[in-house]
Amino acid sequence: MATIEVNGLRKRYGAAVALDGMTFTVRPGHVTGFVGPNGAGKSTTLRTIIGLDRPDAGTAIIGGRRYAELAHPMRHCGALLDPHALHPARSGRNHLLWLAASQGLPARRADEVLGLTGLADAGRRAAGGYSLGMRQRLGVAAALLGDPPVLLLDEPFNGLDPAGIVWMRGLLRDLAAEGRSVLVSSHLMSELQDMAGHVVVAGHGRVIADAGVDDLIGEYASLEAAYLELTAGVGGIR
Amino acid sequence: MILRAEWLKLCTVRGWMAGLAAVPLIMVALGVLFASGSTMSCMDGTREVDCPAPPADSSGRSVQDRLTFVNRELDGDGSITAKVGGLDGTITYPPPNHDEIVRGVVPWAKAGLMIKDGTGPGADYAAVMLTGTHGVRMQSAFTRDKAGPPLREAWLRLTRHGDEITGYVSDNGADYQKIDSVRLDGLPATARIGLFVTSPSGYTVDERAEGGHAVSARWTQATAEFSRISPGGAWTDSLVGYSDYRTTWEQTHPPGYTESGGVITVAGSGEIGPDSENGLAIERTLTGAFAALLPLLVVAALCGSAEFRHGMIRTTLAAIPRPLRLSAAKAAVIGAAALVTGLVAVAVTMPVTVGMLRSHAVVVLAAPWPTVLRVAIGTAVLLSLAALFAYGLASLLRRAVPAIVITTVLVLAPPILAATSVLPATAGVWLLRLTPGAAFAIQQSLPSYPQASRPQTVLDGYYPLSPWAGLGVLALYALAALTAATWRLHRDMTPSSQPAASSERGATSERGASSERGNPSERAASSEGGVRPRGSLRQDSA
Amino acid sequence: MPLGFALLLTAGGVMLGRGGIDAVQLRLLGVRLGQAAVAAAGVQILAGEYGTGLIRATLIVVPRRWSVLVAKAGLLTAGVVPVAVVGVGVAVIGLPLSDALLRAAGESVLHLILVGLLGLGVAAAVRSSAAAMGIVLGLLYLAPMLLWMLPDPDWGRFLYRLTPATAVQALTTTVDDAGLPLGPWAALGVVAAWTVGALGMGAVLFQRRNA
Repeated sequence: MATIEVNGLRKRYGAAVALDGMTFTVRPGHVTGFVGPNGAGKSTTLRTIIGLDRPDAGTAIIGGRRYAELAHPMRHCGALLDPHALHPARSGRNHLLWLAASQGLPARRADEVLGLTGLADAGRRAAGGYSLGMRQRLGVAAALLGDPPVLLLDEPFNGLDPAGIVWMRGLLRDLAAEGRSVLVSSHLMSELQDMAGHVVVAGHGRVIADAGVDDLIGEYASLEAAYLELTAGVGGIR
Repeated sequence: MILRAEWLKLCTVRGWMAGLAAVPLIMVALGVLFASGSTMSCMDGTREVDCPAPPADSSGRSVQDRLTFVNRELDGDGSITAKVGGLDGTITYPPPNHDEIVRGVVPWAKAGLMIKDGTGPGADYAAVMLTGTHGVRMQSAFTRDKAGPPLREAWLRLTRHGDEITGYVSDNGADYQKIDSVRLDGLPATARIGLFVTSPSGYTVDERAEGGHAVSARWTQATAEFSRISPGGAWTDSLVGYSDYRTTWEQTHPPGYTESGGVITVAGSGEIGPDSENGLAIERTLTGAFAALLPLLVVAALCGSAEFRHGMIRTTLAAIPRPLRLSAAKAAVIGAAALVTGLVAVAVTMPVTVGMLRSHAVVVLAAPWPTVLRVAIGTAVLLSLAALFAYGLASLLRRAVPAIVITTVLVLAPPILAATSVLPATAGVWLLRLTPGAAFAIQQSLPSYPQASRPQTVLDGYYPLSPWAGLGVLALYALAALTAATWRLHRDMTPSSQPAASSERGATSERGASSERGNPSERAASSEGGVRPRGSLRQDSA
Repeated sequence: MPLGFALLLTAGGVMLGRGGIDAVQLRLLGVRLGQAAVAAAGVQILAGEYGTGLIRATLIVVPRRWSVLVAKAGLLTAGVVPVAVVGVGVAVIGLPLSDALLRAAGESVLHLILVGLLGLGVAAAVRSSAAAMGIVLGLLYLAPMLLWMLPDPDWGRFLYRLTPATAVQALTTTVDDAGLPLGPWAALGVVAAWTVGALGMGAVLFQRRNA
C-alpha cells in the first residue's frame, strides 16, 4: 500500500528554522492527524511532500517515489493545501477540467468529483464568487480527481458550515476506510479525536509525538488535553 | 497533455478569450475603416482620372519603367557598342525659389545601352549606362545595380550570349573592362536592343517642426549624345511607359531622338525601379496590427502573472511538478493562440480591405506572392512573438502592469516614434535596430535599394533591418524573457547548491540535532513522571 | 517602482543632445515614454489593492470611499511631483533658458501629474489593473494613430485635438506652433478634462460598487 514516508526533513528560511529533522510515516487505512502550534512546520512539511518546497536535507517519499518524479502526480497523491489557489474568473468545473487534462484523466472525472463534493450546481459559476467553504470543497474535489491512494489536506475544516464539517469528517473517514493514506493537518482536536486513528504532533519543525489516538486518549483523557500537554513550552513562531 | 491543460486554462477565463477575440476584430475594423476612407485620383493632364495600375515586372512586383528606348531587333547572340556622353538636362522649378526651369541633371539620370524583352513597361532588361553623378553602372531586374568607373563620358558595350548579358566600359574605345554579367532567364531569342535615356524626378526633403518630413518632387528631363554606334542603323523610337500627356517643356522638347552627322541625341524622362509612390503598399491594410497588439499584450501578460496571483502557481506545480516543461507548454499555448488569432486577423483583413480599395479605384501596389505571404504570415508571427515577450516578462516579474507598460513601450512606441516624431533620423534608425519594434520590418513589402532617387528613410516607411532580421530581434527579446522567467521558476523550485550555503546548513543541522537530543527528555523530566518519551509512543503505534 | 521607471524614461531625453529643429521638444521626448510609467503608478496605487484583496482592509479602515480616493490621489501626486520635476529638469539640462523652455518644462510636469491621476481614475472605474493599463495606453498612444485612419480627415483632426495624446506634442513644442492642432495650454486643458472625467466616473463607480 502507498504510504507517506517523511524522513529527516530540514529546511530553513534565512535565519528561521522551519523544519528540523521532521520524520514520520503515514500508513493507509486510517486518518492521520497532523497537529502542532502555528509555525511548527506543518504546512512546510506538506508543501515539501508535494515538491513545492525543496528541503535542505531529508526526503519525502510517496509510495516509494518522490512527488516530482511521478508522471501523473495527482493520480498518486491528492492535496488540498490552499483553497484560494485558483483563478477567480475560471469556473470550478473548468478548474477541475484543466487539472484532469494535466493528469491525462477523462473530463467526466471532473463531474464525478463535483458531485462527490456537493458542487454539482455551483461548478459552472466563477470560482472567485465561492465562499471559503465552497473553495474547500473544490480543493477536496481537485485532490480526489485522480482517485489517489494518498491524500494530504491542510486545514480542510476551515470555513465549512456545521453540515459541511460533518460531511467532511464522514468523507475523510470513508476515504481512509477504503485503504488510503490520509494526512489531515488541523487545529480542531475534537474533529480529529472523532475521525483520526493516529496523530503526529509537530513542534519546532520536528515530531514531538507520534501515536495512536486511542493511546493518547487513554493517557490524557482527550486529544486536546494530550496536545496541550505535549506542546506545552513549545513556542509556535520563533 | 500538459499542452491540453494549459490550453484549457487559457480558454476558460472569459476575459482572456474576449481579449484574444478583440485582436482580429480590431484589425479588421481598422482595415475596413482605412479602406472605406481611402480615395485616389490621378491627373491626366488637366483631366482627373482613376489611377492606372503601375506595370509589374516578371516577378509580379509593381515597377516604374519609363524611358526613351531607341531600339532594333536583336536575333540570337550579339552586341552593341557606343560612345555615350554629353549628358545634360532640365530640372523644373527647383529650390530655393522654385520659380524657374534650370539646366542640369539629377544624380540618377541615366543614359546608355539596354537589351529588353520587348518594349512593354515591366519587361525584363539589362542595361549599362552613364548616370548624373554616380558614374557608370550596370543595372537589371529593377533593383540590381553594379558600379563601374566614375566617368562622365565613356564607351559602353552590351553583349548577349545565350541568357547571359555582359556590360563593358572603356575610357578610350580600345580597352574594355567588364562591369557585370547577369542572366536574364527566359529572354526570348529575339529581343530589343538599343540606346536609352531617362531621368527620374528631382526630390527635396523638408523637415517639419511637428515631426516627419515632406518630400517634394519635380519633373526633369535628360538628354545624351550617342556616337560611334556599332552596329548602327535601322532604329525604332519607343517611348516605354509614357502616357499621352506631355508637360509644357516636352511640348517643345519632346522625348525621342534626333540624328545628325552620326550622332544620335536621345531625350527622356522617367524612372526604372520598384514603384513605391503610385499606389498603396499592401502592408498599409495591416496597420491595425498596432492597435490589435494592445489587447494581445494585455492578455498575454495576464496569462503570465495570473499564475502568481492567489497562489495559483502552487496548484499548477502540484499538478505538473516540472517547471521546464510547464513553461514550455505555457509558452507554446500562448504563442500558438496568438499566432492563430493573428492568422485569422490577417486572412480576413487583407483580402477584404484590398478588395474594398480596388473597388474605390485605389491602386494597391503589387508584390510578388512570396512577399505578400511573408507580410501576411510575418504579421501573425509578429503578434505571436510579441505575446510571448509580454507573457515571458509578466511571468518573470510576476506582475502584469509593469510587463504591459514595458512591452508596449518597447514594441509599439519605437515604430510610432520613428515614423511620426521629431526623433532625428539616426536615433529612429537605431531604435528600430535595437528594440523589439524592429519586428515591424516584416511588414515592409517595398524593397529598399541604394540606387533610388526617392528618400527611403524610416520616415518613409523603410526599416533599417531586413524583414526577418527585424523579426529576429523581437524573437530574441521574447526568448530572453521566457528563459529568464523559466530560470526564476526553476530556481525557486530547487535548493541553492552554493558551497557556502550548504556548509552553513551543515552547521545548523548539527545545532538542530543537539537540541533534538536535549529538548524532549528535559521536557519529559520537567513534566510529570507518567509521560512516556516520544520514542516509546512510536513503538506503541507501530 | 513604476515611478523610478518614469524618472528614468523622462530624464533619458537628456541623451538626445541638441539636434533637430526643436531641441526642447527633442529633449522632452522622454515625457512621451515616461507618461506610460506614471499612468502605471496611478493604476497600481489603487488596482494593486484589488489584486491582493487589500482593498477590503483599506475600506474597513476608511469606510468613506471618497476619502480613500482623495487620499490616494494626494499620495500619488506627492509621489509624481518630485519625479516629474527631477525627470523634466534633467531632460532639459544645459539648454539655453527661455520663456518657451520654462513653459514647456512646467507644462510637462503638470501633464505627468494629470496622466497619473488619469490612471487612478480609470483604475477606480474598471478595478482590474491590466484592463485599466490597456485603456490608458490605448488612449495615450493608439488613439491618435487610429484617428488618422478615419475616412474623413477633418473629423480625424477634430477628434485628434480631443485625445490626451495631442497634449504632449503640443506642450513640448517650442517653435513653429502654427502647424499644431491645438495650443499648448488648450492641450493641457484637454488632458485635465480627461483626468477629471475619469476621476469623476471612477469615484461614482467606486462609491457604488462592491469592493
